[in-house]
Amino acid sequence: MDVTYTILIPLIPLAVFLLLGIFSQKIKPAVSGIIGVAGLSTSALLSFYTAYQYFFVHGKVDGVYQAIVLKTTWMNFTDTLKIDMGVLIDPISVMMLIVVSTVSLMVHIYSRGYMKGDDGYTRFFAFLSLFSFSMFGLVLATNLFQIYIFWELVGVSSFLLIGYYYTKPSAVSAAKKAFIVTRFADLGFLIGILIIGFYTGTFDFETLNTVNHETGELALNWASTSFMGLSVITWALILMFMGGAGKSAMFPLHIWLPDAMEGPTPVSALIHAATMVVAGVYLVARLFPMFYFVEDGYALNVVAYVGAFSSLFAAIIALTQTDIKRVLAFSTMSQIGYMMLALGVSKYEGHDGLGYMASMFHLFTHAMFKALLFLGAGSVIHAVHSNYLKDMGGLRKYMPITNITFLIAALAIAGFPLTSGFFSKDEILVAAFEHNKLIYFSSVLVAGLTAFYMFRLYFGIFWGKDTQYKHAPHESPLSMTLPLMLLALVSLFGGFIPFSKYISADRVGFEAHLNYPLAAVAVSVGLIGIALAWAFYKKENNLADKFSNAFGVFYKWTYHKFYIDEVYLFVTKKIIFNLIAAPIARFDKKYVDGTMEGIGNKTVVISNKIKGLQSGRVQDYAFGFIAGVVVLAMVFIYLWTN
Amino acid sequence: MDFSSFLLMRQEIILLAIILLLLIAEIFIPKNKKSSIVHFAIFLFGIHTAAGFFAINESSIFGGSFQTNNLIHFFKNVLNIGVFILLLQSADWIQEKIVAQDKGTEFFILLFSSLLGMYFMISSGDFLMFYIGLELSTLPVAALAAYETSKRISSESGIKLILSAGLASGVSLFGISLLYATSGSIFFHDIIGAISASNLTILGFILFFSGLSFKISLVPFHFWTADVYEGAPISVASYLSVISKGAAVFILMILLFTIFKPLMHVWENMVYVIAIATMFIGNLFAIRQQNMKRFLAFSSIAQAGFILLGLISGTQLGTATVVYFVMIYIFSNLAAFGVVQAISSKTGKENMTDYEGLYRTNPNLSLVMLLALFSLAGIPPVAGFFGKFFLFTAAASEGYYVLVFLAVVNVTISLYYYLLVVRAMFLRKGENPIPFFKNKLYMRLGLIITVIGIVVLGLYSPLYEYIYELSSIYNS
Amino acid sequence: MDILSLFVVVPVLTIIALVFAKGLKQARLVSMVGSMVQLGMAINLVFAYFKERAINDGIMVFTKDFVWFEQFNIHYAIGVDGISVALLLLTAIVVLAGVFISWKMPDLPKEFFISLLILATGVYGFFISIDLFTMFVFYEIAVIPMYLLIGIWGSGPKEYSAMKLTLMLMGASAVLLVGVLGIYFNSNADGGALTFNILEISQVNIPFEAQKLFFPLTFVGFAVLGALFPFHTWSPDGHASAPTAVSMLHAGVLMKLGGYGVFRIAMFLLPAGAVHWSWFFIILAAIGVVYGAFGAIRQTDLKYINAYASVSHLGLVLFALLTLNKIAWNGAIIQSLSHGLLTAMFFALIGMIYGRTHTRDIKKLGGLMKVLPFIGAIYVITGMAYLGLPGFSGFVAEMNIFVGAFQNPDMFHRVLTILAVSSIVVTAVYILRLVGKIMMGPLVNEEFKDLPKATWFEKTGILLLLIPIVAMGVAPLWLSDMIMASLEPFIKGVL
Repeated sequence: MDVTYTILIPLIPLAVFLLLGIFSQKIKPAVSGIIGVAGLSTSALLSFYTAYQYFFVHGKVDGVYQAIVLKTTWMNFTDTLKIDMGVLIDPISVMMLIVVSTVSLMVHIYSRGYMKGDDGYTRFFAFLSLFSFSMFGLVLATNLFQIYIFWELVGVSSFLLIGYYYTKPSAVSAAKKAFIVTRFADLGFLIGILIIGFYTGTFDFETLNTVNHETGELALNWASTSFMGLSVITWALILMFMGGAGKSAMFPLHIWLPDAMEGPTPVSALIHAATMVVAGVYLVARLFPMFYFVEDGYALNVVAYVGAFSSLFAAIIALTQTDIKRVLAFSTMSQIGYMMLALGVSKYEGHDGLGYMASMFHLFTHAMFKALLFLGAGSVIHAVHSNYLKDMGGLRKYMPITNITFLIAALAIAGFPLTSGFFSKDEILVAAFEHNKLIYFSSVLVAGLTAFYMFRLYFGIFWGKDTQYKHAPHESPLSMTLPLMLLALVSLFGGFIPFSKYISADRVGFEAHLNYPLAAVAVSVGLIGIALAWAFYKKENNLADKFSNAFGVFYKWTYHKFYIDEVYLFVTKKIIFNLIAAPIARFDKKYVDGTMEGIGNKTVVISNKIKGLQSGRVQDYAFGFIAGVVVLAMVFIYLWTN
Repeated sequence: MDFSSFLLMRQEIILLAIILLLLIAEIFIPKNKKSSIVHFAIFLFGIHTAAGFFAINESSIFGGSFQTNNLIHFFKNVLNIGVFILLLQSADWIQEKIVAQDKGTEFFILLFSSLLGMYFMISSGDFLMFYIGLELSTLPVAALAAYETSKRISSESGIKLILSAGLASGVSLFGISLLYATSGSIFFHDIIGAISASNLTILGFILFFSGLSFKISLVPFHFWTADVYEGAPISVASYLSVISKGAAVFILMILLFTIFKPLMHVWENMVYVIAIATMFIGNLFAIRQQNMKRFLAFSSIAQAGFILLGLISGTQLGTATVVYFVMIYIFSNLAAFGVVQAISSKTGKENMTDYEGLYRTNPNLSLVMLLALFSLAGIPPVAGFFGKFFLFTAAASEGYYVLVFLAVVNVTISLYYYLLVVRAMFLRKGENPIPFFKNKLYMRLGLIITVIGIVVLGLYSPLYEYIYELSSIYNS
Repeated sequence: MDILSLFVVVPVLTIIALVFAKGLKQARLVSMVGSMVQLGMAINLVFAYFKERAINDGIMVFTKDFVWFEQFNIHYAIGVDGISVALLLLTAIVVLAGVFISWKMPDLPKEFFISLLILATGVYGFFISIDLFTMFVFYEIAVIPMYLLIGIWGSGPKEYSAMKLTLMLMGASAVLLVGVLGIYFNSNADGGALTFNILEISQVNIPFEAQKLFFPLTFVGFAVLGALFPFHTWSPDGHASAPTAVSMLHAGVLMKLGGYGVFRIAMFLLPAGAVHWSWFFIILAAIGVVYGAFGAIRQTDLKYINAYASVSHLGLVLFALLTLNKIAWNGAIIQSLSHGLLTAMFFALIGMIYGRTHTRDIKKLGGLMKVLPFIGAIYVITGMAYLGLPGFSGFVAEMNIFVGAFQNPDMFHRVLTILAVSSIVVTAVYILRLVGKIMMGPLVNEEFKDLPKATWFEKTGILLLLIPIVAMGVAPLWLSDMIMASLEPFIKGVL
C-alpha cells in the first residue's frame, strides 16, 4: 500500500507552526485558532484514513500485519551506519496516530475557547502545532535516531508550553525542571543508542526487531560482548528505558510531571496526560522484541518492576494532593506505570502477548479518559479560577455537562464495568496475574486507590459543601464542552474495540476474552474505593481529617510526595552548583588564569629586580666589561673546551 | 699595481672627496647662507649613494690589507642608504639647532669620516686596517654624541662613549696582539692557515670578540648603550644603533666565518650563551623604559641578540640571513628613530606617556611608528617578520631548536613592550596629546623611504635571493 | 586571478577602498559591499567545488603554486578541500553579519572596519593556503588586529584583556613556529628537498622521534587558539572586553583556526606523533569540555557564560579530533562551523541586549522577552540550538562526534566519551538558566519597559546566521558528505 501521503500528517502541523510562528505579530488571534484547528483536522483525517487503509483495506499479509517503511537517508556516519528519516506504518504506530491526532484535535478545539483573550493566543497555537508535528514524527519514526530526534523536539515543545506563562516564575522553573530532568534521562537514551549503533551497526527498528521464525529467536546477535556480566545490548536497553522513564515520569524521574501542571490545562491534557508522557511506553513497545528476547527479557523485568512501583507510588501520593491538576498528574503517572508493567510481564507470541496488547489498549483508552479528565478540570478551573479543591464544591448544578463527562471519565479510570477503562485495565491485570503474582497484587491495590482518589476528586468538585462563589460559575462555551462530550463517548464505548485482533507483540493478533473472576475482583476493589470516597467526601463531614490525623506521619510524607523533590534540590543546588560549578569558576580565575598571569607578572618583577645593573656610572660599566671578558675567558678556556 | 686598482676603493675615495668638498664649502659659503650646507651635503651624499650601485670587481690591494667583494660592496650600499635616510631625517634638526651654532659642516664631516672608518673596517684584509677602521669609525661618533654642548646629558654621553670605546678598543687590540703572537701574522688569509685552538689563541679571540661585541652592544658589553643613546642627539643615537652596529655585526660575521672558522667549536658555544643573555637582558630592561630613546636602545640590544642566531649557524644561510636581517633592521629602526626625532624636534617630548593619543592627532606618524614597531617585533606582513623567521630558520637548520625556542619566547616578551608604545599611541586618548604638526620635506622623505623599505623588503623575495648568492663567498 | 586568491584580493581591495572612505556611512557601505562580494564568492566556491570534485580527485582542488622564496622553497601555494571550503563559507557569513551588527560604530569607524577586514583577510588566507609558511604568515595577520580591535573599541578592562589575548596567542604562535621549523627541516626525511608544502610533506615519512618532539609544539601552538584547557583563559577576558562584532569574528571564526590548524598541520603532517600523544591531549580536551560547561553555570556576565560555553564546545572539537576517528572528525568540522555560527549569533544578541540595557549582568536582566520579542525569540532559538536540539546544526555535529568517539571500544575512550556526552546535560542547565533568567520571568527593571525594537540591520545580521544554522540542522547530508569525502587522506596517516 502506498503510504507516501502519511508524510503530510506531521508536515501539515509543521507548516502551521512556521506560518504562525513567523507571522505571529501579523495574524489575528481568531484566524490563528482557525488555522490551527484546520491544520490538525486534516492531519486527523489523514490518520483515520491511514488506519482504515492499513487495518481493513490492506490488512494482513500471510497472517501478519506487515510494517510498511518509507525512508530516505538523512545523514551518513559510515556506509552502513546512517540516520534515516521516514515513516514506519505498523499497528502500534497507526494506533498512536489515532490517539495523538484525536486528542490533539480535541485540545485544539477546546483551546479556542479556553485561551480566548490571552495575548499569546497565536504563540499558543504555534506551539501546539509544533508539538503535534514532533509527536507525529516520534510515532512514525523508523529508527532509533529519528525517534531520538523527535523525542528531543517533543521535549522542547513541552518546555515551551509549560513555560507558556513565561512571566510567572513558577512556570519558568517548572519548564526548566521538566526539560533538564528529561534531558538527563535522554542522556541515558543517547548512550543506549550509541551502544546499539556500535555493537549492532544499525539504528533501524525493523532490522533490530527481526525475529527469526525457525528458531523463534532474535536474528540480531546480542551475546557477542558483555559488560559486568550483562550483555552490552541489555545495558543499552536499560539505558534507553531510562530515557523512556524520564519522558513517562517513572520513578525516580517523575518529579517534573507535577510541576509541569503549571502549563495551561489543555497542554496538560494533550502533552502531560495523553501523548508525550506515553512516549516511554511506546518506545518499549517499539523495541519489544529486543526487550523480550535479549537475555531472556532481563531489561523487560526492570521495566515491569519500575512500572509497578511507580504506579503504586503515584497512586498513594495522589490520595492526598489538593491541587486537582496534580492529583490528575499523579494519576497519570500511576496509569503509565500500569502500561509499563503490562509490557513488562508480557510475552511475545499469541495469547502470551496479552500484556503487550493490554498495555497498548490501556494507552489508548487512558489517553481518551485522562484527556477528558484534564479538559473537564480545565473547564472547572476556567469557571472558578482556582486549582484547589478547597475553592470548589457543589459545581454540578452550575456546570452539568462538565459534571457528567467528568463522571464518565472518573468511572472509566476507576474501571467501572463496560467503560473503556474496565476492559483495558482488566486485561492488564490478567496479564499480570498470569505472569507475576506480586505485581498483580500491587496492581489490584492501585486499582482500588485509583478509584478512591478519583472519586475523592469528583465528589470534592461537584458535590460536597456548596462554596460561596464571588460570581456564580457557569458552564463553559460549546467550543470547550463539545470536545468533552466527544471524548466522553469514546471513554464510554472505546472498550468495545476488539484491540487484540489488530495489535499484538508478534503482529499476528489473537482473540482476547474477559477473565470473569479477575474482572470481578478488580471491579469490587474499584467499587470499594468509590464507596469509601462517597463516605468521606460526598457530604460535609470530618472523616477525612480523622483519617489523616490517624495516619499523621504517613499523611505528611505522602502530602510532600515523599520529599523526592527536596532530595533532587539538594543534589543540584547544594552538590552540583556549590560544590562543583562554583569552585571551578573560582579555580579558573585563581589558579589556571593565575598561572598565566603569574608568568607575565614574574617577567616584569624580574625586570624591576635587575634594574640596579644599569647604575649610570661608567666605571661600573668598565668593571662589567672586564668581568665579562674574564668570565668568558674562564668558561671557554678552562671549562668548556671540548 | 696599476692605478685602476684604486677603483676598488671607489666608495672610500668618493666619500673622502665629499668630506674635502665640505671642508672647502665651509670656507666659501658666506655666514648668512650656512644652512645651505645641509642641502649641499645631502645632495653630495645622495650622488655617492646612487654611484655606489655601479658594480665593482672583487679583489684586494695593498698586499691584501684592503679587500672588497660584491657582498662587502653591497653592504656598503646598505650603509649608505641608511646614512642617507639618517641625513634626511636629521636635516631639519641640523638646520635649526646645529647650523645656528655654526657647527653644521663639522657635523657632516665627523659623520662621514666615521662612515669612512666603517668602510675600511669591513673591507679590511688585515688586523691593522681593521683596527684603524674601528677607531676611525668610533672616535668621531664620540664627538657627535657630545654635540649638543648646551645639554649636560649630551656631553656626559659623549664622555661615556669615548671612555668605554677606549677600553673596548684597547681590549680588542690586546686580543689582536695575542692572535698575532700565536699565528705570526696580521693578514687574515695567513691567519686562516695558522690558527689553532690553543688557549692563548682562544684568549686572544675572546678579547678581540669583546671589543667588537662592544660596538654591537652584546651583553655584557652593552652597558654604555642606554646612557649614550639617551644623552646623544637622536640622529647620533640612531646612527649608533643601526649603522655602526650593522657594520660591526658584518665584520664580526666575516671574521667568524673566515679566520675563526677553526675555532667554531668554541665560538658557537660562546655565541649561544651570549645570544641568550643578550636577548633576555635587552628585553627585560626594555620592558620598563619610559624614555623612547632608552627604550629603543634596549630594544636594539635585544635585536642584536636575535642576530646572533644567524651567526651561530656559520653557514651561507647564516651569512645571508644576517645581512638580510641587518638591512631590514636598519630600515625599521631608522623609521622608529625618525618618528622620535620628528616629535622631539617639534615638541621636545621623548617619553612614552607623551605619545598617548598620538594617533588621533598625528595619524601618519603613528602609522609609521606602528609599522616600525611591528617590523621590530616581527609581525607579518612587514619585513621584520621575514628577517626574524629566516634567522630562526638558519639557527634551526643547525639543530639549535632550544635556542630558537628561547628566541621565540623573547619575541613574545618584546612584543609586549612594543605593544606598550602602540597602546600609548592608539588605545589611550591622553589628556594633552601632541598637537598635529606637519613635517618638512626632508623628514617626510626620510620616513617614506623607510616605510617603503619596511613593506617591500620582506615581500619582495628576489632581494633575499640576491644576498644569498653573494653570501656564497664566505662559505666555499 | 584564480578563484581562491580572490579571497585575499577582494578584502585587500576593500581595505584600500576603505582608506579613501569618509565617515561612518561610506565606511560601512564599502565594507558591506566588500563582504557581500566575499559571501557571493564563497557560495559560488561551494558549487564550483562540487563541480570540480566530480572531475578532480586530488586531495586539494583549485591548487595554484607560485614560488616565493626559492632558496627556502617557500611558495605561495593555495588549494581547498571540502573542509576549507566549508570554513571559508562560514567566514564569509560571519564577516558580513559582523559588518551589519556594527552598523552604528561611533568611534573611528573607518579604522574599525579596516582592522576587521585585515582580520578577515588573514583568516581567508589561512584557510586557502597549503604552504606552511604562507599559512603561518596569514595566521599572525589574522591574530594581531585583535589587539587594536579590542584595545580601541572594547569595553571594561580592554587594555588588559587585549594585551593578555595578544600575548597568549602570539606566544602560542611562537611555540608553533618552532614546530613549523621542525617539520620543515624533517621534510626531506625521504631524501627529497626541504619543503613547506603541506601536500608534499604529508607524503614524507617524518622520523618518529621528530614527530614525537614536534607534535606537542605544533598541537599546543594551534590549540591555544582553540581554547584548549588550561590555555583558554585569554578567551573569557578577551570576549568580555571585545566589541560585539569582534567577539563574533573572534569566537566565530578566529578560534576555528585553532582546530583547523591542529587538524591540517599537527595531525595531518605528524600522524605518528598524533597517535603517540593523543591519549594525553584527549584528556585535556575532555576536561575542557566538562570544565567549560561547569564553569559557565555560575558566571553572571553574559559574555563570560558564552566564553566558557565556547571552551566547552571547542573542547569537543579537539576531543573529536583526538579520537582519531573519521566520523568524529566529520563531527569536529561540523561542530566548528556550527559553533562558529551559534556563538557569533549569541554575541550578536548579547551586543544588542547590552546596547539597549547597558548591562551584561544577568542579575540585572529579566523578562526581556516581553519588551524585545524578536531578540527574545531568537535568543531562545539560539539557546536551544546551542544545547544541541535536533533541527539545528549543533545536534548534527554532536551526534557525529559522539558516534565517532564511541567507535573506540577500549575503556579509556569509553569513559572519556561518556564524560563528554554528559556535558550536553550541563549545557542544558546553563543555557536554560540563562534563558530563564534574562528572557523569561517578570520584567525586573522598569526602565527596560520601552527598549527600542530590533532594527533592520540587526535583523539582517541575525538571519544571515540563523539560516545556515537551520539549513545545516535540517539537511546535513550534503555538508557532511562534502567533508567526509575530504577526510580520507587524513585517516590514512593515523591508521
